[in-house]
Amino acid sequence: MYLLEHDAKQLLAAHGIPVPAGCVITDAGRQPRLPPGPWVVKGQITAGGRGKAGLIQKAATPAEVRSRTASMLGQQLKGRTVKEVRVEQQIAGASEAYIGIMLDPAVAGVRIIMTAQGGMDVESLPRDALQVSTAAPDAESISAVVDKLSAAVGGVAGAALAQAGRAMAQAFVAEEALLVEINPLFVHADGSWIAGDAKFVTDDSALPRQSVQREFLNRKSSPYLETALKDAHGCDYVVVDPEGEIALLTTGAGLSMMLIDEMRASGLKPYNFLDIRTGGLRGEIKRLVNVLHWMCEGRRVRVLLINIFAGITELGEFSKLLVSALQAVPDFKMPVVARLVGNGMETARSVLADAGIPLHDDLDAALAEVHRHLEEQR
Amino acid sequence: MISPRITRHTPVILQGISGRAGRLHSRLMREYGTNLVGGVSPSKDVREINGIPLFTDCTGAVQATGAKVSVALVGAYDLLDAMRDAVAAGIKMIVTPTEGMPVHDALKAKRLTQEAGVLWIGGSTPGMAVAESAKLGFLPDVSLKSGPLGLMSKSGTLSYESGYRLAQRGVGTSVWIGVGGDPVKGTRYSDLVPFYAADEQTRALLIIGEIGGYDEEDFAAALKTHAFAKPVFALIAGRTAPEGVAMGHAGALTYGSHGGYAAKRAALEAAGVQVFDTLNAMVEGITAKLR
Repeated sequence: MYLLEHDAKQLLAAHGIPVPAGCVITDAGRQPRLPPGPWVVKGQITAGGRGKAGLIQKAATPAEVRSRTASMLGQQLKGRTVKEVRVEQQIAGASEAYIGIMLDPAVAGVRIIMTAQGGMDVESLPRDALQVSTAAPDAESISAVVDKLSAAVGGVAGAALAQAGRAMAQAFVAEEALLVEINPLFVHADGSWIAGDAKFVTDDSALPRQSVQREFLNRKSSPYLETALKDAHGCDYVVVDPEGEIALLTTGAGLSMMLIDEMRASGLKPYNFLDIRTGGLRGEIKRLVNVLHWMCEGRRVRVLLINIFAGITELGEFSKLLVSALQAVPDFKMPVVARLVGNGMETARSVLADAGIPLHDDLDAALAEVHRHLEEQR
Repeated sequence: MISPRITRHTPVILQGISGRAGRLHSRLMREYGTNLVGGVSPSKDVREINGIPLFTDCTGAVQATGAKVSVALVGAYDLLDAMRDAVAAGIKMIVTPTEGMPVHDALKAKRLTQEAGVLWIGGSTPGMAVAESAKLGFLPDVSLKSGPLGLMSKSGTLSYESGYRLAQRGVGTSVWIGVGGDPVKGTRYSDLVPFYAADEQTRALLIIGEIGGYDEEDFAAALKTHAFAKPVFALIAGRTAPEGVAMGHAGALTYGSHGGYAAKRAALEAAGVQVFDTLNAMVEGITAKLR
């Protein structure tokens, strides 16, 4: 999960990293007790570029906090909606450093990057402004490299980076992170430091053994929709365009992504990404029924395209499940176009034909039919 | 390091053979021609499955059969232990189709296999195949035709579709390796560049990539380092995927500029790779070059 800043800071604080006093607001009408001002109001969203999008703003009075919060809640950025706002104490008079610890698959370990010149886009800094090295993925090895790099940075910032880095190394290993980044790391002249912003990416595969992350995931109106959904239903489903017109019932991550890319390039508007995992259906319609219900939530969805390349799955069986699932969701009234390849095509063809669904074995032919349905409905 | 060019004589064991997937795929692999000589299952009650003798650990299986290669079909949280068992028994190549191995487990597994000189393919891989000889894992037979194209893929389904369409057009594969969709892979595209450079049957190389990580960029760098002289093609999925969401594969996650499509495409093109926008263009382009 790419954690919201608010959650990332809670995790960091739990591992001994100081963060500005703050609170979270989900309802503009209800303002909790604020920490001492002045404040920064920060829209919580799992994507970068918040500053440029106006989702990070200063506020000098509680009234300003209220108006900024109200304007941010519900705002959209990169297809995500701001549902939470973090209000925290402004940090003044500090210099800004950067430190990141991230997975480095090439060395089966981690990469550590730090610099005294944080705050801005670190990737735009000249290479020699950065201290970079790799380490084995255990806290002791990471800490040893943190010590070496921070000594090279030197000064007050170096000392702060050393302390922060050692605590982050513990957090990275204990939380089974893919990335832990603090930017800016505010450093005061007296040597004290505090995490201004935090990015924390965790491993969904480790969720069963990460209790705090599970709490984040399971809280009311979870911001981690896709992970929560996969956790509960065993398939990957992502609304890629809330205004999309074509629902996709597909299996396999790569083929599903490619289909979306190609449809968009040709001017079609897919609604969702789905990896249904046909191998995990186990003869039950439940997962298919759930997916069909979710698709009904798309206001502009007008046609369903099914694209399954089955290496193993018996398509006759799959087609029977599909027809039963469609019957179990009477709200689902849109036309269905199916393209299947694999074992059991003949049975699949007759099962689907009985349900009035023509079966294609060529993807382009299926896409042409999707096009025709959209034209007819215009 | 063992060559991934397995033959129909390479002795193979299957860890987790008594599970649902193990029973099914032991049969399918054998039908394809894989020399499956043993299975590993902790239960002492079952002696054989699909005519394949069972052992309680890899050491017993290796001693009795001389197996060099293992396919592990065990749960995500049992995979690291299964791999330790295989490495301790002297297995030289492990294929792990299991999805959902925790990344920090994968880091440990990668260090373990590297230190032991074991070739690890996976995790979250559909497997690998030398078409018309043997396969390890799930690759569908309809997509497998012997030919001159080396194929590496992060994705199962997109490679099935690609292999199938190419086979229909008469283009087959030499050695097909699913490197897998996890962020930490036992074997990355770049690791296999020297192998494909030396493999005589391979006349061209296709990588099927996707957003997330730096595998495509590192592959492009390796092509230059090794002065790879055969034509290289690429198809990259996820050009329009939203940021911050793992798109089905744990590895297909972009955040900020990390793992984005544009950087991959630019790196590949700078290394002389022909990058296609669509499946159709890929099939036409490769067919024109190889047939």
